[in-house]
Amino acid sequence: MILEFIVAALKAAIPAGTPLLFGTLGEIYAERSGVLNLGVEGMMIMGAVTGFGVTLATGNVWLGITFAAMAGGLLGLVHAFLSITLRANQVVSGLALTMFGLGMSGMLGKRYIGTPPPCRLRVAPIPLLRDIPFLGPILFQHDPLVYLSVLLVPLLWFVLFKTRAGISIRSVGEAPATADALGVNVFLVRYLCVFLGGVLAGLGGAYLSLVYVPAWIEGMTAGAGWIVIALTIFAMWSPGRALIGAYLFGAVKVLQYRLQPLGVSPNLLNMLPFIFTIIVLLAGTGEVIRKRIGAPSALSIPYAREEK
Amino acid sequence: MFSSRKIWIFLGVLVVLALIVSGCAPAATPTPAVEGKKLKAAWIYVGPIGDYGWSHAHEQGRLYVQEKFPWLEALPPAEAVPEADVDRYIERFIVEEGADVVFTTSFGFMDGTIDVAGKHPDKILFHCSGYERLPNVGTYFAEFHQLYYLNGLMAGALTKTGKVGYVGAHPTPEVVRHINAFALGVKEVNPEATVDVRWLFAWYDPAKAREAAESLIAAGADVLAFTEDSPTVIEVGQEYVEKGEPVYTFSHYSPMQQFGPDSCVSGQLVHWEVLYEDILAKIYSGAYTTTNLEEVDYWWMLKEGAAELGAEFGVPINPKFEPALREKKVTDPVLGEISVYDLVMTRLEQMSEETVLFDPFTGPIRDQEGNIRIEEGRRGTHDELWLMDWFVDNVVAEIPR
Repeated sequence: MILEFIVAALKAAIPAGTPLLFGTLGEIYAERSGVLNLGVEGMMIMGAVTGFGVTLATGNVWLGITFAAMAGGLLGLVHAFLSITLRANQVVSGLALTMFGLGMSGMLGKRYIGTPPPCRLRVAPIPLLRDIPFLGPILFQHDPLVYLSVLLVPLLWFVLFKTRAGISIRSVGEAPATADALGVNVFLVRYLCVFLGGVLAGLGGAYLSLVYVPAWIEGMTAGAGWIVIALTIFAMWSPGRALIGAYLFGAVKVLQYRLQPLGVSPNLLNMLPFIFTIIVLLAGTGEVIRKRIGAPSALSIPYAREEK
Repeated sequence: MFSSRKIWIFLGVLVVLALIVSGCAPAATPTPAVEGKKLKAAWIYVGPIGDYGWSHAHEQGRLYVQEKFPWLEALPPAEAVPEADVDRYIERFIVEEGADVVFTTSFGFMDGTIDVAGKHPDKILFHCSGYERLPNVGTYFAEFHQLYYLNGLMAGALTKTGKVGYVGAHPTPEVVRHINAFALGVKEVNPEATVDVRWLFAWYDPAKAREAAESLIAAGADVLAFTEDSPTVIEVGQEYVEKGEPVYTFSHYSPMQQFGPDSCVSGQLVHWEVLYEDILAKIYSGAYTTTNLEEVDYWWMLKEGAAELGAEFGVPINPKFEPALREKKVTDPVLGEISVYDLVMTRLEQMSEETVLFDPFTGPIRDQEGNIRIEEGRRGTHDELWLMDWFVDNVVAEIPR
């Protein structure tokens, strides 16, 4: 019985954390290149509405997901243009993006209210692996987007830490002037990273509106974009820890309801995600200070060549 | 820069200008009398119209009366209004847009509504779901406990595990009352079955609703009802039906059958337009004025047509579930042996009659400790229902305090 409870809770924690994982992976890349993007919430919700709309129009979930990613990426480019090319304040530009996304998605989504999605992403258990006791049901009985998000973790880690491109990204985030002097195209690298951040946030949004809920509901991200910002710090800008953080958060969300019948005060359980956010920030920041690593030095500082 | 004299002159001119402007303002926007040709009405919603629940349903009512009454000018509504800010919004509608009537549609708007009403005794306000009234403030509500009871009858017939789940938004008297009515229905058909509850502490949060529904299913529930403003619980039920582990659901507020054609059995539907139509017609005809609303409290249900059974307008029970409900038989002390389907239909008829022949809250009703709360043969009074803070005996959850 208790084992069943744990398996069921852990199994549910993964989809609950998946939108956060997508968003955090994207934000890690943007911040690693030195661009703080507080517009995750806006990019996510635009991804959600676009994904839903396109799926409804075409009847093809994968097309919807693709367009959701593109919508997120497009918004990312807006932020990139403002903060990289025009060197606007990144905090302001990111906040503007969030507000724009929330408002715009509400307007675009008006006609989708009360419409069920024409088709949905099915759960696709992985043959053989699904039958492993304990781990099988927890890890290998999910929908394809969950697998994609998990596969992205080692891939993005590898690119960031083991390839030349990764060195370029990190150096642009740490010392853009030096990177520039060494022949790295700072603007291009930052543009690409912010774009990727948008694409992944868009995917996170599509996961919400096409898989997790699935329906279009105004304001459905409900703050997920802000949790992503906190998780990025917790992850110390590393994809591997992003996975842990996102699933921990998913587990907190899931346990909030599963612990209610055990007599734990629902009011207390209701505070869990917020307490957890604070702990995440404390732990993350503490570790960042101790290990003297983490926040890219040039984070949120626009780069201008002539100011060298 | 300026000498002090110049500053005083400047300030003086400014004050005079301000006085002129503020003095002109009321005259510039003459307030049309109620008997005039047009009536201006404004609506204030707590959620986005896009919630597909509470605010969406009120908006349908607004659109209906706007279409119906040529003399009515329904102003564009204010949506997603924070509860603490409502007085500012009401003032704006009254002062700047010249509204004659303002509808405030959330319990949390009560204090703000009463405050502003005191300042504008020449305007009519109607507050939805509250209990404080003034000579110019009436209250109205479309009550669902009859529908929840009917849903409960069906839930009791359909559960195989004997565990029925309820996803509750906030532990308010309204939600507690609805859970009780639902549980009373379950009990009538299936005395052994229990009703378990998970609280969201949100009126609208699809992600939370999903987790709460999943956790009820994990605890063994195979039929779910809910109070939350999105179709998420129905979606979850549909997924489980498709997986071959059927979970049946009851929709809330808006027609949600389309979200779970194989899971959604029935539900609760609202017709705010019936209430708005009545209220506005009476204001227009002069029956309701700014001095006689203190006793005007709408508490409308099936009989008045404010509530409708079903998850789709005109379809009280999803036809897919008709055979199963016809098959399940119960013995009623008055009606004898009867199928649950017929029982639901009979009760529906009884509660829709001009003199309501049946009410779910008819004694004896015991609470979780076994105390009699409503004695045999007595119906719960309006106040008892309105302030309910206890669960009936087949609910296995607690009300958080």
